[in-house]
Amino acid sequence: MFKSVFRPCAAVAKNARMTLPVRNSILMPQMMVSPIRFYSATTDRNEITQRVVDVIKAFDRTNASADISSKTLFHKDLGLDSLDTVELLVAIEEDFDIQFPDKVADELKGVEDTVEWIANHPESE
Amino acid sequence: MSSLTRTQVLGLYKQFIKNANNFNDYNFKNYFLRRTRASFRENRDVKDQEKLNLLYTNALKDLGVLKRQSLISQMYTFDKLVVEPLKTEHE
Repeated sequence: MFKSVFRPCAAVAKNARMTLPVRNSILMPQMMVSPIRFYSATTDRNEITQRVVDVIKAFDRTNASADISSKTLFHKDLGLDSLDTVELLVAIEEDFDIQFPDKVADELKGVEDTVEWIANHPESE
Repeated sequence: MSSLTRTQVLGLYKQFIKNANNFNDYNFKNYFLRRTRASFRENRDVKDQEKLNLLYTNALKDLGVLKRQSLISQMYTFDKLVVEPLKTEHE
């Protein structure tokens, strides 16, 4: 008797699970990004630094992945040229779900600059 | 056409990388990433303004193609290849 009641419920639960927000990754299309954004969560500088460092470590063309601090410079310390830097910034953009304007992107020389910019633009597009 | 700036070229490179990343299919995605990197590196030392403008105009056309094709790619699903990393939520 209750079977007909429970079965739709199960279907609903299954659907709900499938639409749970999924972390954005390179493989995921943009539309699966979670609609909920906790703006205040990323204004802590240490946390941003940690996330930026994690992205840099995951980036495969860096030559000194062991010791990355907030003072690390992309060109001098990581051996990235301007094109590599652009790619790294794209990776950071995807991780934080933000956009660096072209003018700003050219000015970002190191971890510190990047963290500073992200901290100052919590809801930038 | 006025002279190209470094920022413009880097911006173009960024557009290419971003649009290539939008491909659902692993093979297409990596092909376009590879091609973008190779062609920008190949022409990195070009100083001749005329040649630069020509390259830039052609690149804009290619970018249009890339954008359209990546959209088309998103309309289809592709099986994951064995070389692709598993989705992060499974880790």
